[in-house]
Amino acid sequence: MSVALAEAIWRGLALYFGFGLVTGIGVILFGLKRLAPGRLPWRVRLVILPGLAALWPVVLLRLAGVRPAEDRA
Amino acid sequence: MAAGYVIVGWNRFKRAYDGVLLAGLAAFLAAHAGAGILLAPAGQHPSEVQLLIRASGAAAFSLLTIILCIGPLARLTPRVLPVLYNRRHLGVACFAAALVHGGLVVLWYHGFSEVNAFVSLLISNPRYGSFGGFPFESLGALALLILFVMAATSHDFWNHVLGPRLWKWIHMSVYAAYGLLVGHVMLGAVQGEKGLAQAALAGGSALLVAGLHIVAGQLERRRDRAVDGPPEGEGWLDAGPAEAIPDGRAVILVPPMGERIAVFRDGAKVYAVANACRHQGGPLGEGRILDGCIVCPWHGFQYRPEDGCSPPPFTEKIPTYRTRITGGWVFVEPSPQPPGTPIAPSIAGEAG
Repeated sequence: MSVALAEAIWRGLALYFGFGLVTGIGVILFGLKRLAPGRLPWRVRLVILPGLAALWPVVLLRLAGVRPAEDRA
Repeated sequence: MAAGYVIVGWNRFKRAYDGVLLAGLAAFLAAHAGAGILLAPAGQHPSEVQLLIRASGAAAFSLLTIILCIGPLARLTPRVLPVLYNRRHLGVACFAAALVHGGLVVLWYHGFSEVNAFVSLLISNPRYGSFGGFPFESLGALALLILFVMAATSHDFWNHVLGPRLWKWIHMSVYAAYGLLVGHVMLGAVQGEKGLAQAALAGGSALLVAGLHIVAGQLERRRDRAVDGPPEGEGWLDAGPAEAIPDGRAVILVPPMGERIAVFRDGAKVYAVANACRHQGGPLGEGRILDGCIVCPWHGFQYRPEDGCSPPPFTEKIPTYRTRITGGWVFVEPSPQPPGTPIAPSIAGEAG
């Protein structure tokens, strides 16, 4: 693997998870009610933060109103 | 279970489970490090960091092997079910051990590189075109990424947000992670100094996991009632005689197309529902009817057999199927009704 390719992978991952972390913090502060009715304790919010950073595209889809396939059936 | 979404709280069993898990993990790390010191050739004692790197890597691989054995073992004997209930805790512990291993490797071997440590990890061995010399570190890094996503989405919140299907799909990638880790360990053994013993352990573990899955799969095939074709008019599926279904239990139909169907008998009433639990896809047909509800054997989620709905205030729903009894034999319409659709039970003993 070339240095350029390795750096591109590193930057891609850093960008993806960095954007995900910012998005996740935003969701935890302002958007959680749209994902899970009811109030989640802060310890649970911290537990789900890494997942928000990793799966932010799906989270944004859910916030936009796209429901899981089972709910649409 | 969820009323919209409700957190599953901690209980005594979960605390005991985690206590045993942490104690076992600590004992494993100590024993592995101790063996590393005792078995090291004279004058070549590894450093504490190297000992921890090896011990945490071995712990992560062993935990993942155990995790993958629990599923098939629970199908072979229900005594393993209590371990299955909180398997996610093992998964998170496995990720934690793998993170310690990967983090220490990056810091210890690449932290002082002139380039970024992660970049250094990827380029330190350039033999990507070689089989035996393939950089095993990359396989480990990819496996760690998969384990991270699984650990990060292990909370029930994610089952609710992603939906059971996508959640299950993500968590089935554990097999990809395991394959990568077997490659990681075996290539590391070939390229390093550990040689045959480490490769044999990794290969043996992989064979154990594969063997248990094959045995459990064969047992499940024998238990399932495979439906090769429509024996009844209109394509209804033959579920066998009603009396052959144990009271409060189910037989599982495997239709030629579509998902498994659990056909339950509760006294004289016969119901059919989807076999997959809404929570984590657990096999409802291996559960039983208690207090009028089907109870999932994995985590105790409940569904009313007559409409596939969880009892209030919970909101889960599973598809239901029409049934009929002709001459004492149960037949099931192969096409599912939308989740939560009420279906009147067929009554065994009535003239069909």
